[in-house]
Amino acid sequence: MTRRPRLGLRARITAIFALGALLVSSTVAFAGFALVRREILADFETTARAQLFRNALQVRQDLQNQPADAIEAALGEPDENPNEEGTGLDLDLILGDLLKPNSATELLVLQDQPRSSRGLQLREVPSDVQEIVKAGGAGARRAVILGQPRLVIGVFIAQLGAEYYESVSLQPLQDTLDRLRNTLVAVALGAGAAGAFLGYYSARRALQPVTRVSNAALAIAAGDFQTRLDPTVDPDLAPLTTSFNDMVGALRARIERDERFASDVSHELRSPLMTLAASIGVLEHRRSELPAPAQQAVDLLGKDLRRFTRLVEDLLEISRMDVGAVEADMAPVVLVEFLQFAVLHSSASEVPVVYDEADAELLVMADKRRLAQVIQNLLDNATKYGGGAVSVSFSRTGTHVRIAVDDDGPGVPSADRERIFDRFTRAGTDAGRRDIAKGVGLGLSLVAEHVRLHDGRVWVTDRPHGLTGARFIVELPIGDPSQFGEELFA
Amino acid sequence: MGTRILTVEDDERIRQAVRLALEDEGWNVDEADTGETALDRFRERAADVVLIDIMLPGMDGFEVCRSIRRASDVPIIMVTARNDTHDVVAGLEAGADDYLTKPFAPKELSARIRALLRRVRSSDGGSMERIAVGDLEISPEEGVVFKAGEELHLTKTEFKLLVELASQPGKVFSREVLLERVWGYDYFGDGRLVDVHVRRLRTKVESDPASPRYVVTSRGLGYKLQP
Repeated sequence: MTRRPRLGLRARITAIFALGALLVSSTVAFAGFALVRREILADFETTARAQLFRNALQVRQDLQNQPADAIEAALGEPDENPNEEGTGLDLDLILGDLLKPNSATELLVLQDQPRSSRGLQLREVPSDVQEIVKAGGAGARRAVILGQPRLVIGVFIAQLGAEYYESVSLQPLQDTLDRLRNTLVAVALGAGAAGAFLGYYSARRALQPVTRVSNAALAIAAGDFQTRLDPTVDPDLAPLTTSFNDMVGALRARIERDERFASDVSHELRSPLMTLAASIGVLEHRRSELPAPAQQAVDLLGKDLRRFTRLVEDLLEISRMDVGAVEADMAPVVLVEFLQFAVLHSSASEVPVVYDEADAELLVMADKRRLAQVIQNLLDNATKYGGGAVSVSFSRTGTHVRIAVDDDGPGVPSADRERIFDRFTRAGTDAGRRDIAKGVGLGLSLVAEHVRLHDGRVWVTDRPHGLTGARFIVELPIGDPSQFGEELFA
Repeated sequence: MGTRILTVEDDERIRQAVRLALEDEGWNVDEADTGETALDRFRERAADVVLIDIMLPGMDGFEVCRSIRRASDVPIIMVTARNDTHDVVAGLEAGADDYLTKPFAPKELSARIRALLRRVRSSDGGSMERIAVGDLEISPEEGVVFKAGEELHLTKTEFKLLVELASQPGKVFSREVLLERVWGYDYFGDGRLVDVHVRRLRTKVESDPASPRYVVTSRGLGYKLQP
C-alpha cells in the first residue's frame, strides 16, 4: 500500500523552493553580515587605537613639559577631586586638549591612582584590559558600560608609569549594523517568498501536462474515446503525450473489437436459436398430432431450448456489460405497480408484494427491463434453491429503497454469501452438485451487474424474525424522478 | 381473402421456420430476403402486417420501415437482435408499431400480430362520439383526426393511442395502462414503446412538438391529453 503524502505535489514543490531560497539567502545574508560586522569593528578598533596612541603620546609630551616638581606634587597628594582647580598642574586640562570623537571618554591613571577622568571610571575598565596595560602593553575590549556598547582601549605610558584609557561608544556602529541586519533579514524573507512563488509557478507549469492528462483520462473513463492530448513540441513531454494517445487509441480499438465480437457472437448465436425456436413452436403447436414418444421429445426439446436461450441471452448481456457497452435506460417507475407486474409475469405469480401504505406511490428511477430481470432472476433463484419465494417487499431507507425477496429454503451459509453472486456458482457448494439440472448460475451474477448499473447494492442475509430461509436485498438509489421530463422526448 | 404477412429476413432458415409457424396459424406469408425485394413485394401486393429484421444486407431494416411507412400505415413489427435501447428506439422511430427480440417464440409473434390486426379492425368498433380538444377533432368511428380542419395522417397505433388518451381528457395514463389498452396484450416492462409513439404522435398533432400543448408528460408518471 502506498502512503498518501500529506501534501500535494504542488504544495511540496512550492515548500521546497521556498525553503531552498530561504536557506540560500539567509546563509548569504548571515555570512555577509558576519563578515561586514567583523570588518567594520576591526576598522573601528584600528582607528580607535591610532587615536589612542596619538592621544597617549600627547599626554606624555604634555606631562613631560611640566616641571618635575609639579608632577611630584601632584603625585604626592592624590587628586580627590579631579575636576577641581588644583595645583599648578591641571591634568584635566591636558585631557581636555586631546583629539577625540564626541562620545569618547578618557581616564588617566598615574601610579595606580586615577588622576584625571573625563567620564570614564577605572572600575568600568575591564580587568583584563587593565592587566594588559599594567604589564606594559596596549589592550582593547568591547564592553557594555551603562547600557551602552563601548570599545575600551588602554595603553601604558612607560616614561611616566601612567595608564591611559579611552572608551569610545559603539552605539552608532551598532545602529548601522542593526539596520544592515534588518535589511538582510528582510531580503532573506523576500527571497524565500520569491522562491515560494517561483516554486508554485513552476510546479503549476510542470504539472500542467499532468493536469491535462488527468482531465483527458477522466473524459475517457466517462466514455469519450475521442479525447486525445494535443501534440506538444516539448521534447520532455512528447513521449508522455504520444504514449497516452497511443494507449487511448489501443483501448478504443480493443473496446470496439470486443463490442464487435460480442455483437457478432450475438448474431451468430441468435440466428440458429431463432430457427430452432420457430421450428419447435410449430412442433409444439402440433403436439397433439404426434405419437407419445415424439411428444415427450418435443417437450424436452422445448424446455431445454428455452433454458439454452436464456443462458445465451444472459451470457451476451453479461459480456456486453464487461465490454462496457451498456447504458442504463433510466425512467421513473411506480415501484408498487412495477413489482406487482414483475411478480405477475414471473414464474412465481402467486407471491405477495408487501409494502407500507405510505410508499404506495413511491417513484424510483430505474431501467425497467433490467430491474424486471433482477426481480425475475431473484424469484427464479428462490424457486430453484429456496423452495420458492414467500414474499417480495420493499421499504424506504432515506434516499434509497430496499427491495427484499424472501424464501423459506435452507438459507445461504455466510461463507457463500458473496460467492453466490459470482458467475456459474450455485447455492450450496456440495449440495449444489446434485442440482445441476436446475439451471446455471448466471442469474445472480446478472442481478449483481444490473444492480451495479443502477449504482445500487445487492446482498443476501437470513430471513428476519428467526425464520428459516434467505432474504435477498436489492438496494437502489431512488433518484429524482421529477428531473425526468419532456426534454428526453422533446 | 386471408390475412397476408410479409416477412423480411435475410437468413433463409429463419425465414422458412417463421413461414412454417405463421402458415401454421393460418396466415398467408410473402417473403423477401433484402430490403429492395421487400419494397417490390409490398408494391405488388399490400400485406396486412410486415415483419422486418433490422439486420439486412444493403438497405437496412430501418430504411425499409421508413419507405413502407411513407406509403402506408400498415402495422410493422421490427425484429431486433438486441434488447438495447438504441435498436429498439431507432426501429420505433422509423415507424414500427412493435418490436420483438430474436430469438422469440412463434406464440409470441402470433400474439403480437393478432393484437395489431385487432387494432386495425377496431376502428369500426365502439360507440365513441367525436371528441374535440382545442383545435383537434377526433372521430373514432371514422378513424380520422382533424387539426384546425385539416386531416392528420396517423398510423393505427398512433390513432389508438390518441383515442385512448382522449377518452378521458386530463386523466393521466401510466405507460403500463397504455401498453395494455393500445398494444392489447399484457406486455411487461417496456415503456419505450409508449414513449416513442407519444413522440411520434406529437410530431403530428402538436404545432410545436418540443413544447407539447396536447400530449403532456405528467411528472414521469405517464401521459395525458390536456383538455
